[in-house]
Amino acid sequence: MVYTCIPLLHCLELGISKEEALEVLQIVRREASGEESQRSVGLPSVRKYTALELLEQEHAQGSIITFCSALDEILGGGVPIGKIVEICGAPGVGKTQLSIQLVVDTQIPECFGGLDGESVYIDTEGSFIVDRVMDVAHAAVQHCHLIAEAGQDEVQLEAAQAFSVSSILSRIYYFRCHDYVELLAQSHLLADFLAEHPKVRIVVIDSIAFPFRHNLEDLSLRTRLLNGLAQQLIGMANDHGVAVVLTNQMTTRFGPVQSTLVPALGESWGHAATIRLILRWEGKLR
Amino acid sequence: NIQSIKEILCLSGPDLQRLTKLSSSDVRYLHKTVAAVVKNDPVVTALQMYNEECPFPTQNRKLSMGCPVLDLLLGGGIPLMGITEIVGESSAGKTQICMQLCLSVQFPRSYGGQEAGAVYICTEDTFPNKRLQQLIALQTMLRADVPADIVNDIKFGNNIFIEHVADVESLNCCISKRLPILLSRGLIRLVVIDSVAALFRCEFGASDSIAKAKCLQKFGAMLHHLSHRFSSPIICVNQITDAINDSYLAQSDFGLSGKVLPALGLTWSNQLLMRLMVSRTQFCVEGAFPGDESALSSGIVQRRMEIIFAPHLPQSFCNYMICTEGVRGMQKTGI
Repeated sequence: MVYTCIPLLHCLELGISKEEALEVLQIVRREASGEESQRSVGLPSVRKYTALELLEQEHAQGSIITFCSALDEILGGGVPIGKIVEICGAPGVGKTQLSIQLVVDTQIPECFGGLDGESVYIDTEGSFIVDRVMDVAHAAVQHCHLIAEAGQDEVQLEAAQAFSVSSILSRIYYFRCHDYVELLAQSHLLADFLAEHPKVRIVVIDSIAFPFRHNLEDLSLRTRLLNGLAQQLIGMANDHGVAVVLTNQMTTRFGPVQSTLVPALGESWGHAATIRLILRWEGKLR
Repeated sequence: NIQSIKEILCLSGPDLQRLTKLSSSDVRYLHKTVAAVVKNDPVVTALQMYNEECPFPTQNRKLSMGCPVLDLLLGGGIPLMGITEIVGESSAGKTQICMQLCLSVQFPRSYGGQEAGAVYICTEDTFPNKRLQQLIALQTMLRADVPADIVNDIKFGNNIFIEHVADVESLNCCISKRLPILLSRGLIRLVVIDSVAALFRCEFGASDSIAKAKCLQKFGAMLHHLSHRFSSPIICVNQITDAINDSYLAQSDFGLSGKVLPALGLTWSNQLLMRLMVSRTQFCVEGAFPGDESALSSGIVQRRMEIIFAPHLPQSFCNYMICTEGVRGMQKTGI
């Protein structure tokens, strides 16, 4: 679904005149009334929403809990569907851990507060180690079993039976991208994959920084590619009702007095994600 | 005038439309077709990875450290794909651990090895060959888990390739030219660089941090690429620097509470899969091991190996000793 709004500034960006912009708007309005014929051609249909409808839709979408109450609170209940969450942090702070936790938590049955969904994990660094995923899955299964035992609810007991480590592992789809070209290719194929697997509720890319930080000298190309990628991901998040989680590295910004740590990939990238989480160490705690 | 698949993928839909005059749905189709050529692996689930049914190599297996206690700490050993750093003060045992890995890689897969040799790149002192010969002679003692005839069949010395490298240029040359040949011929499945810090500290001054970071990134990327292509771990030895007051910021990057920092900074740390820190403790072990009476009147210094970060392991540590036959982890006895 495309939410139409073409302000004047935008058409200046596109390099078209105001007349052309008005023409485009008229075409779009005409298409909105002829929705049925558009669907068969495969063009996206257009609807107009009020702001209230959008807000209600957002709340209804659901979110994925992290099992860490402090994090869930900051996120407003968990990682939200339909949005992009970026997790930044220094090496070892727990970005991959959180990513793995999320692809497991997405699968928690609805009666336990989860989404009963499937997960996509796109690995660009080679840090997805199955043993660890097994541990996390095992803990989640234990957790649900405990709740079911305590509550003795029929639905929960049945769901807990079906929720096993192997069922969890079998519903995590793993993709390995070795460089940014493969990642770009993957993002083109992802929309179809999500259409074929409608139960997927989360897409994790760990990490988005790694492939874009070496062998890519041309920074303006990098900005362009990242922006394009972000747009595609937002589109997918909305069209298929998935949460998108990206992990990013930190880099040093040299200042006049002292240096600070900032998320990598540049200033303009900072606007791509809806929510940006920065994980830091406080002494020995995270 | 579009020359390659890479260019097609790097151009956005609207840009391609302008260049090729195709419609938007045709451009979408073009993107997808090209993408399918680049990413033609079938879809894989985590369960298939666990059952080793995956068509491409994944991060399942590990290289044994040659000691069951250390392997337990590390969840099996060193992951096969990626750069593992061993950082620590001098005399902590980094070189000893590296030499032990150069031997354990030569064992059969069923005993945690990779049935291939190793390259040991020295940047500082000359390679401690005498110690290596001593370790080779005592392998049956260290690896009591392996039948003696299998151990004796392995020609350990023949499979360790030693390179001495004095500057960054020669290191780059070695990595870009010599390593790929040895790796593609299956002669080696382990690369040790002892040490990375020494070279980079010498050649780059305090004001060259940006150039140094770029160089480290390029270097890390080359190693990363080789490691993944050939499922061969790269072990990089790093030194520590003292943490001075205004590097509080840097310390907070690593969750370290001590007064030391790994050298080489954040750029390098971002390239690592796993970081292990080794140190000397102030404790000694009275000669508890048979056959080790020679070393022992004052007791062997206890050392500690700590996992600073790893994607699959919690932060934990294990004490170890350096015996004549090699590095041995010490089991935690109940307190």
